[in-house]
Amino acid sequence: MLTTRGFGLRLLCAAGMFILLEGALFRTGFYARLLEPNSSAGILRSILYDEKQRRPSGLPEVLTIGDSRMGLRARPANEISNETGYTFATIAMPGSGPRIWYYMLRDIDPTHRRYAAILIGVDEYDDEDYEDIANREMDIRYVTPLLRWSDVVPFAASFPTWQMRWEAARAALFKGYAYRADFQDLLANHKFRMKKLEAQQRMAGDLRYNQPWTDHDLRGLSVDWDKRTIEYPPGSSDSKKEMLRNVLLRETADQTGARGAYRSLWYGRIADLYRGSTTKLIFLRLARGPVARPYRVAYRTAAVRELAARNPQVILLPEHAFDSLEQPVNFGDPLHLNERGAQEFSRMAARQVAHALGR
Amino acid sequence: MLFNTPQFFLFLLVTLALFYALPKAARKPLLLLASYFFYMSWNWRFAPLLLTLTAIDYTAARWIEAADAIARRKTLLVVSLAANLAFLAFFKYFNFLAANFAALVGRPENAFGLQIVLPLGISFHTFQSISYLIDVYRRRQAAIRNVVDYALFISFFPQLVAGPIVRAHEFFADLYAWHAPTGEELNRGALLVIFGLAKKMAIADPFSLLADRYFGNLAAHPGALPAWSGVLAFAVQIYFDFSGYTDMAIGMALLFGFHFPVNFRRPYLAAGIADFWRRWHISLSLWLRDYLYIPLGGNRKGRLRTYANLMITMLLGGLWHGANWKFMVWGGYHGTLLAAERAVGRAIPRVITFVLVSIGWVFFRAATLRESISIIARMFHGPRGTVLWPRWQIDLILILLVLAMLEEKWQWFERIVRAPAWAYGAAMAVLLLGLELIGLTDVAVPFIYFQF
Repeated sequence: MLTTRGFGLRLLCAAGMFILLEGALFRTGFYARLLEPNSSAGILRSILYDEKQRRPSGLPEVLTIGDSRMGLRARPANEISNETGYTFATIAMPGSGPRIWYYMLRDIDPTHRRYAAILIGVDEYDDEDYEDIANREMDIRYVTPLLRWSDVVPFAASFPTWQMRWEAARAALFKGYAYRADFQDLLANHKFRMKKLEAQQRMAGDLRYNQPWTDHDLRGLSVDWDKRTIEYPPGSSDSKKEMLRNVLLRETADQTGARGAYRSLWYGRIADLYRGSTTKLIFLRLARGPVARPYRVAYRTAAVRELAARNPQVILLPEHAFDSLEQPVNFGDPLHLNERGAQEFSRMAARQVAHALGR
Repeated sequence: MLFNTPQFFLFLLVTLALFYALPKAARKPLLLLASYFFYMSWNWRFAPLLLTLTAIDYTAARWIEAADAIARRKTLLVVSLAANLAFLAFFKYFNFLAANFAALVGRPENAFGLQIVLPLGISFHTFQSISYLIDVYRRRQAAIRNVVDYALFISFFPQLVAGPIVRAHEFFADLYAWHAPTGEELNRGALLVIFGLAKKMAIADPFSLLADRYFGNLAAHPGALPAWSGVLAFAVQIYFDFSGYTDMAIGMALLFGFHFPVNFRRPYLAAGIADFWRRWHISLSLWLRDYLYIPLGGNRKGRLRTYANLMITMLLGGLWHGANWKFMVWGGYHGTLLAAERAVGRAIPRVITFVLVSIGWVFFRAATLRESISIIARMFHGPRGTVLWPRWQIDLILILLVLAMLEEKWQWFERIVRAPAWAYGAAMAVLLLGLELIGLTDVAVPFIYFQF
């Protein structure tokens, strides 16, 4: 005769087996290998995979991280390794932010000793509120493969709304739930997925290292900031004009301090990750655009400056080191450097980093 | 508050916890309160309706029982049945009748229509009340003295919305001789709840997308194979949706110490239409048999009367499902098949039974009768087209078919219930993983039978 105690034991067994089964599939890296290569999590996984597979050069290494605007290309930077004494690698990823960088760095450098420095590209050293970066749903999709049980609370709590906290906690707790769409796509198109994964495995790392960026530029672009009018590069399409308008003439938002709090939290966590290690954290202010927007914001905070002021491991490269790149000829669109700009920026940044590290 | 939402599971857990924490005397009022809370969470305005019907039937049953003269008892029964059916007719069939009357007198379809919202579960609890009244009239059931007990019989939340249609003697036997569920019953109850949820969310809901894709845009999917794809997807959806709901209802009732009747027994493995109705929505089939088919004379009055009785029963069974001619046609289609099967005197092979049942589902799912006929025509005539099912869903159905056949032969579900803790845990873990990976959880898709 079964008892209610037996029932309790069965429920415990069910919960335990579910955790084991789910863990075996989704917490061992088994499923991460099968992720759709073009999905958010798949791109992140492939960037980290390539970096883990990269052979050490023998020189001290600098790892760069940032979003799509982080235009440091490893190849031009490494072409002057004799001069700088450092090898550069990059795990910069489009659409990412400090929260994602923290989990990427934790995954890629578990001993916190692999790199001489982590180079982080930021748009400003001051914190300007213009989008709700702390509440981005995309972050959950990116970092799900990297989350551990211990991340459930801190990761979820870093979102400002209860709705997103719930989503984040659910993704950290039930990875299968977060991978559901990917899993169903795998079931439906498993042969195609396998071929894609094989192709990606073969060439993604080389492709990222060697593929040139766009050779388009924005010559002919100028902005009258007082009249808020733009002279567009000749032959610009309507969509390009709209993009230029949206980026260059965007309204200044109310400065609430939310971005500062967010950056302070996540740069602080990254700094904590490297506390006690010899790895330096170097911040650089990216070239802001083909024409720099004039400063018209009353900044309330500057998380990066505050971090550097209290942490000797953190170095800020000179704020205006890359201002000379802020020309239409160096940009392919209002946010991103083109091949020429990226080549120049990579060499300049490599030299600046070497200098900051004492070479 | 759908069964497949986190809110419902929270409600269920709180109710279960309170049920076992409170002294026995407080449990029935607690279940009644919880059931009304559940009912009112859909639409609180209908609570007076449920209370009114409860009061009418509670009182009528007491009067019927107390009446000695057969004529008075019959009168009381007719009046109380008329009251129940009047409510049902008004809420469910008024607009249908009004539209048909309008068509008859050449007026626009909605000329006499009213804005009527269908009260939740009215078809189910009305049938439950009717069976109680008739049983009391037949002296097979004592009239219930305690109004709380009777109100709980009508409103008990696991079966309030879509059955199974529980007979009074079954429910009150549990209520009056209540004992705490055994460990085995708890095992079965919990497994049924998760099993039903997985049926609904991991099988029925994904197949509902396929069915919706076809039935929602017929013009985009010409040809026989798309038609079969859509129809078979709906056949899968409706079975796993309704039986999933029923499993959850039976499982939840077991957790509270109540034993609901089995409502499905692998109907798509039926050999013949009569066999199908012995396996599909069994509580409704039995209700129709006991309170309609047999009182009409059943098969005791000659072949023609038997066929007529079958047809009347199935037509009314069809109409019970919905106020639309297509449900009548669906009922008539099954009535015809039952009569034909009886006339031939031989059961139909399983595969043909499944195909015939699936064709019947077209009337259920299509928007109109005209559309149903067009789809059935496409299934057998015209261009070939392409299959709409992705490969993995075909594989899934084949696996489920094998599982159904194994269950038919070896009753693996009951073996799991009695299996060692690790095996029970493994089975439940697989169900949970299935729910997590292929369950549709972005939106809670309503259960099909909730509309009836």
